[in-house]
Amino acid sequence: MIGNNSYIKILGTMGLSIGIMVILFLSSEQQVHRNNAFTRRYPPHPIQKVYALDLGFNSYYIAGFETDALFLANHTAPRHLLQIDLASQDTAHIKIDFQGKNLPYRSLKIALFPPYFFVMDGSAPYVLKGTTKDWVAKPWIEDAGYFMKGIPIDSNVIFLSTIDSRDQMTALGLLKKTDQTALELYPDVLTPQIDGVFDVDGTIMFDPGSNTLGYSYFYRNEFLVLSPNLDSINTLKSIDTVTVAQIQLATDSRTQASQMKAPPLTVNKTATLFQNLALINSPRLGRNEPSHMLMEASIIDVYNWQKDLYAFSFYLYDEGSKVKEFRLYKHWLVALMGSTVAVYRLDPKFFSIPINPTDNPKEKTTGQ
Amino acid sequence: MKGSYKIRQWFPYMVSILCSLLFLYAATSKLWDFQQFKIQLGQSPILTAYADWVAWLVLIMEYTIAFLLFIDAFRLKALYAALGLMSMFTTYIILVLHFSDYIPCSCGGVLENLGWTEHIIFNAFFIVLLTVAILLSIPKLPPKAVPS
Repeated sequence: MIGNNSYIKILGTMGLSIGIMVILFLSSEQQVHRNNAFTRRYPPHPIQKVYALDLGFNSYYIAGFETDALFLANHTAPRHLLQIDLASQDTAHIKIDFQGKNLPYRSLKIALFPPYFFVMDGSAPYVLKGTTKDWVAKPWIEDAGYFMKGIPIDSNVIFLSTIDSRDQMTALGLLKKTDQTALELYPDVLTPQIDGVFDVDGTIMFDPGSNTLGYSYFYRNEFLVLSPNLDSINTLKSIDTVTVAQIQLATDSRTQASQMKAPPLTVNKTATLFQNLALINSPRLGRNEPSHMLMEASIIDVYNWQKDLYAFSFYLYDEGSKVKEFRLYKHWLVALMGSTVAVYRLDPKFFSIPINPTDNPKEKTTGQ
Repeated sequence: MKGSYKIRQWFPYMVSILCSLLFLYAATSKLWDFQQFKIQLGQSPILTAYADWVAWLVLIMEYTIAFLLFIDAFRLKALYAALGLMSMFTTYIILVLHFSDYIPCSCGGVLENLGWTEHIIFNAFFIVLLTVAILLSIPKLPPKAVPS
């Protein structure tokens, strides 16, 4: 009798312990991924997959577009570019010639502003410039200031984010070279909530079609649409409910460096601008959304920033892995997922495609 | 019969000491670098939201159980508690390995060098030890129940 009783007690103890852990796990998952306070709309087929190419490496990133070609640069092979003709799927390899003295590179980034291309390393810091005719990168700007992220937005202007040395907070700025090189910082564009570095972190964006700049915060439901000289700031809310960055910072006892104490709650994972639209990849589920979708696809929310409204959402199904970066160009959507690049065709009913001005005046949400 | 009786008496005692040492070691190595432990726990995908108080709770539980395992009157209860804690920890590892987006590590000291599979085996070994110890310490009651 007593023996029996102790078996039950042992199994009960184990069962209770397992149960507690499972409940903790499920409730933590719920907090991180689910937010039932907002509802998404998924209209049928705003994009249609055309093809996916295996690149063989996951270190590619999008450098830009010219005519019908997509250019991918590679973090681990900085002198190499992969050119993909979006229509014919033809690929070509390009070798960039770095001119000038041997430059050190730590976080080199290549970006196109046709017919120019830029080789930027904000941690060195320097910028090289060349044309896409011959792919020769010549020294252009040196030691004008360190920066973290940069995109060329004109033949002689780079939009960047950096740490402002005056207050040690993240600021947006423009690196210009006209007669003289000048780094202009605009510390008031980003709104600090906690430390002004971690909490304001985000994605910098540029859309050549509408000539607008943008910034989407990682950790709050906000994104900015900016004029090219950063004088007009349009602050917009995304459909998520997290208004204040939920990050916790701690000082590492070993290195004394400031670091995240817990995984931050990411609201806007990555984003891009296209004409009058801002597209944001959100890792969070809204009301009535099946949770398995987070395992199978990336959710893209589309906002019309001109009208300040949420338009619709769509899924980008995983091709081996989740969307790392995506961009819209002409009538294409290009998404990098792991070592795959997937290409989709935009439905003109949902996106105002620039080439043929066949804008549908009746606009989105044709019932669901 | 006499030999087996001795084992019955000594086995739970040995297991108690072993577990006690394990918990004391684990808890002390956490306390040694408590800030680091809290950060690591917070980075765990399961306990993110509760890291602050769970860190203290784990520490207090480990010390309490280690202490109670040395006291005869509480040994059986402490063994159950140790079994519960080990089961929770094992469940945690399995959940992290199979159901979480990424895999962190927050074990201290020597155990930091254990792989996750080795960790499960290590834990399973202790769970078996504790179960046997509990089963062996219960039949000690009948002689007391029949004092006549």
